[in-house]
Amino acid sequence: MIDWLVVPLTYSFMQRGLMASLMVGILCAIVGCYVVLRSMAFLGDAMAHAILPGVAIAYLVKGNLFFGALVAAVIVALSIGFFSRQGAIKEDTAIGVLFAAALASGVALISTVKTYAMDLTHILFGNVLGVSSTDLFLTAGVGLGVLITILLLYKEFLIISFDPLFAATLRLPVEILRTVMLVLLALTIVVSLQTVGVGLVTAMLVTPGATAYLLSKRLSTMMVISASVGAISTISGLYLSFYINVASGAAVVLVATGIFVLVFIFAPARGMLWRFIHRTNAQRGTFREQ
Amino acid sequence: MKTDSSKSATCLNEPAHLVVENVAVAYGGKAALGDVSFCVPVGTRVAVIGPNGAGKSTLFKALAGLLPLQSGNISIHGFPLGHHEDCVAYIPQREEVDWRFPVTVVEVVTMGRYGRLGWLRRPGRKDRTIVARSIEQLGISDLAHRPIGSLSGGQQQRVFLARALVQEPHILLLDEPFTGVDIATQESMLAFFDQLKKQGVTVLVSTHDLKLAATNFDHVLLLNHHLIAYGPSDQVLTSEHLMQAFGGQVLLLNGAVVVDKAIHKCKSYEE
Repeated sequence: MIDWLVVPLTYSFMQRGLMASLMVGILCAIVGCYVVLRSMAFLGDAMAHAILPGVAIAYLVKGNLFFGALVAAVIVALSIGFFSRQGAIKEDTAIGVLFAAALASGVALISTVKTYAMDLTHILFGNVLGVSSTDLFLTAGVGLGVLITILLLYKEFLIISFDPLFAATLRLPVEILRTVMLVLLALTIVVSLQTVGVGLVTAMLVTPGATAYLLSKRLSTMMVISASVGAISTISGLYLSFYINVASGAAVVLVATGIFVLVFIFAPARGMLWRFIHRTNAQRGTFREQ
Repeated sequence: MKTDSSKSATCLNEPAHLVVENVAVAYGGKAALGDVSFCVPVGTRVAVIGPNGAGKSTLFKALAGLLPLQSGNISIHGFPLGHHEDCVAYIPQREEVDWRFPVTVVEVVTMGRYGRLGWLRRPGRKDRTIVARSIEQLGISDLAHRPIGSLSGGQQQRVFLARALVQEPHILLLDEPFTGVDIATQESMLAFFDQLKKQGVTVLVSTHDLKLAATNFDHVLLLNHHLIAYGPSDQVLTSEHLMQAFGGQVLLLNGAVVVDKAIHKCKSYEE
């Protein structure tokens, strides 16, 4: 039993992979609470795809992919904020246009490189076993920065998410806070690229948050539960991928989805089963009264 | 102070608290309010009446500093809006809030203190005491740790009143607080306004209920994009003014005024 757990850890690529996934899993899960509560799932997905041209350019000029992605993500975050603030078109339309254009230019740029199929796969689905020590430090640094910002702005983020109108009456800079939140989301997505990739990062943002939403009545509790779901799914997903030889990002996402389905059915108060029993009891009660 | 309008006559012999002068506001590209002037003395309870789309919510949003003024001034204690940051508390219509958000009653009420706390600071003992007192005052102590989504409409309204109370406002704006609320909550809200009056808090409430406006408020403000009348209810709620405000929507039956949907009800009685 112990062997079963320890054997993968004897490989240093596995150690680094586990460390990176765990950090990304927790970070995505916490930032994901805002994504779930503010209905930003589409935005997160769009942002992940919009990072592609940044990565492609960095690749072409042989620069650091991480910084390429970072610059692209921050530009996208700011321009989505800009487009939706103008109010000329609806926010989701603006995101749709922007993200398709960015994805197309990313694909166009990458297709100029001969070995693009391989590289594109890594960007789209992640390559957790290729995490270098530099990647690990970058992930840790950025992740810590994002979490500290969330901790410091907890009450401001709570208020602009729950009741933006009230935030405005308190003279809080709602637009600036919203943009800061978008930048944090962008940073989170960028550090997740290596482990889960563009295609699956939305799942890591949304699924643990959605699971926690069903189980909590406070934002702080929701964040703790979400982080735990993120951590459990990344670790068990990685072990799964080691033993049954499936893509690690996919394994992680499938475990998270499995937990979500279980909670969706069995959660107290908000779960399917609970509501079903409640309804049946209520019906029985009214029958008895009659 | 300009006294070019007879409508602001009440300000002459009482200390003015809230002064609105020639205010025009656009909302969604359309002119929602034009040339509105009135003043509200300290601790007055004002009912704001008008048909749907008359600009009642726009007026409140402008008073709360949420909408820019196209022209005119709003001043509080003789200072322009924004000078006193925590002076105005605004409770929007209930549909404007996400009730499924995971947040408890205590947390929502504590938000009322955030304006005073400033950046990077957490609520201290004093804030917690004020929050607890306000929750008790509104009779929702037993609900304090419940998520707000599990409360009834009336209980949710009390939570928002408690939040406004911990802001320690001088002016309280409530947009349609009686809509979808049970009689008990309505009664305790009216009692609460009386109490606020004693503390010198000015209360502005928008409502459709003419009878409530006439009996429970000091002044009535009749609005339909322009100010139609403002003052004590017996002077404002005349059939002439009401016809002006509601147009074809108003119906006078043996001296009683019937507005809006009530007309349809009367017709069905005849059938």
